[in-house]
Amino acid sequence: MIKSIAPEICTGCGACVRICPLDALRMGEDKKAFIAYPEDCMTCFLCERACPSGAIDVDPLREVLPPTFPDVPVELGGGRA
Amino acid sequence: MKNTMKINRVETDLLILGGGSAGLWAAHRFAELMPGRKVCIVDKGPQDWGGLMAMAGGDFEAVLPPDTVDGWLEDLVYYFDGLCDQPLMEALLSRSAERMRDYERFGCEFFHKPDGSLKSVPQRGLPHVKLYPAQVKGRGGELMAKSLVARLKDAGVTRMGRIMLTDYLVRDGRITGAAGFHCISGEAYIFKAGAVVAASGMGGWKTSYGKNTPTGEGMRMAFEAGAQLQDLEFARVWNMPRLFAWEGQTHLFPLGARFVNRLGENFMNRYSPVLGPNTDPHFTTIGMALEIRAGRGPIIFDVSPLRGEDMILLKPQTGWQKLNYEKLCRLGLDLFKDNTEWVPQMTVSHGGIRAEIDGSTAVRGLFAAGTARSMEPGVYAGGFALMTTAVTGHMAGESAAAWLRDADDAPAPDEAEAEALLTRAFAPLGREGRDTLTPKQVLTRIQATVFPYDVSIVKNGPALERALAEIRRIREEELPRMAAADPHYLLKLHEVEAVAFVSELFVRASLERRESRAGHFREDFPRMDPAGPSWIFVRRKADGTAEFTPERVPLEQWRVPLTRCYQDNFTFVEQATGKDR
Repeated sequence: MIKSIAPEICTGCGACVRICPLDALRMGEDKKAFIAYPEDCMTCFLCERACPSGAIDVDPLREVLPPTFPDVPVELGGGRA
Repeated sequence: MKNTMKINRVETDLLILGGGSAGLWAAHRFAELMPGRKVCIVDKGPQDWGGLMAMAGGDFEAVLPPDTVDGWLEDLVYYFDGLCDQPLMEALLSRSAERMRDYERFGCEFFHKPDGSLKSVPQRGLPHVKLYPAQVKGRGGELMAKSLVARLKDAGVTRMGRIMLTDYLVRDGRITGAAGFHCISGEAYIFKAGAVVAASGMGGWKTSYGKNTPTGEGMRMAFEAGAQLQDLEFARVWNMPRLFAWEGQTHLFPLGARFVNRLGENFMNRYSPVLGPNTDPHFTTIGMALEIRAGRGPIIFDVSPLRGEDMILLKPQTGWQKLNYEKLCRLGLDLFKDNTEWVPQMTVSHGGIRAEIDGSTAVRGLFAAGTARSMEPGVYAGGFALMTTAVTGHMAGESAAAWLRDADDAPAPDEAEAEALLTRAFAPLGREGRDTLTPKQVLTRIQATVFPYDVSIVKNGPALERALAEIRRIREEELPRMAAADPHYLLKLHEVEAVAFVSELFVRASLERRESRAGHFREDFPRMDPAGPSWIFVRRKADGTAEFTPERVPLEQWRVPLTRCYQDNFTFVEQATGKDR
């Protein structure tokens, strides 16, 4: 999931905003890109790759989803905490 | 809808829903054949992003010499346990090499061996079916999308992004256009079109990096417009790392990779002494589920048998896959060195619109292409989607051109009907009240209902019945409570409505199929129906509900007899009927 867009590095070019498939990023009034809808990020890295100034950091770990094995403990490959 | 809200009106000869592989190919072919006519591609994501194709590695299946279409067709009839539309598949396979050559002509390269021949990777232990890897692993699909978009720009094809279409407009059984809204500006749109290609992808459950956008609204729209659906009981349950996303494991199994359980056992050898770990993920995830249920999890991905020289094919070299890999390595999650835990994860639906070979549907002027139409019964060989979406997109563009040449001019959309549909689509925008729900809250409840392994992988009747009751409750009680704070959330809300629609059809179709075949395994009906394969078609009744109708596969009319089934390679029947429990 997207972690940060560094405002001091962002040049406001809008490349990340244009490319985000989930419309998670928008341009702020300060002409800097910001994470408008963080929960919609799908960790595709398109924004980080499109950013010409290296302002964006996407964390590679994926979202925790409802479990496939609700009754099996996590340590045995299930989803029960 | 408020009278002050702006409605944008767009007129086009061909409207294409979805700017992924199938939509781009449909536009390309139509523009080639009808250079003076208007084509407009509408995508709910960014303009020109290429849909799921942009996420794909670029592996392509094609029938190249010395292989023959007949050989591949025999493989697929066997692999699909008879649920293979042979005339359709023959048409697709016959055109696969042409599309691969098109890609090469467009500058998309495939991997060549030192002797100059194309590298190929056999799939799922099948004698003929194989994929041809992209030259540059990690960006192959992205380059394919870019090459197509460049051609569409030259051809003057209109491309519009961030517009979600919510309803088809139909008059007297003929498509007249579609209505929807812009997910940033919130402006309404009515498209008037002579013909429409539905290339809007499959349904899905918004689970991962590359499977977050196919949510099934195209399927719901087609169903409501009068088209039939099929194969809804088949969903893709993929094997995925528990903590991160990965693309390209398809390559690894034929080269020696395998999953092992907590005891270090290569358990797929037990479930299939013939195929072992080199099989379809559908069967691997059944094996994983049975191991985890028996207390032998977690499941670890073991790449130690791989040869060093094969690693060049496997390690991501560019694109998002390389960035992902490097970041994971920094976190101590090197897939090629560390033991990583993998889990079965439901991702997308294999079901789709029922269409003729040429893409035509029960709605005149509506053509289906790509994964919006159903082509495989829940099993999936690597590279299949890039091939089938290219070929069916190309064919749908051709069919729409031929149809428009002969058809009368399309009637104008019924304005009152279009505005009523838009009013309905916009209703949740700004909805207030203490008991409102966000789309994400409802999505999570749907996921929690459908993901459990006894609903999605090792299905059984009572679990499916419970899931059906819960999905119906969610549709009746929770969907009407969803609220969208802005047009962005309105898009998510319509996605979640479609996810709920597809989920109910998935569970109902899974109950209807009282046997196990291809990508559908019922623990309470673990054998194939001795009467032979049937499809389950879904159509909308006059009261708006779905009717499921089985229809026997007319094997006696087709060339390839069903003499053996892929499922016979597995011992899950013995597992389900009592042994080793």
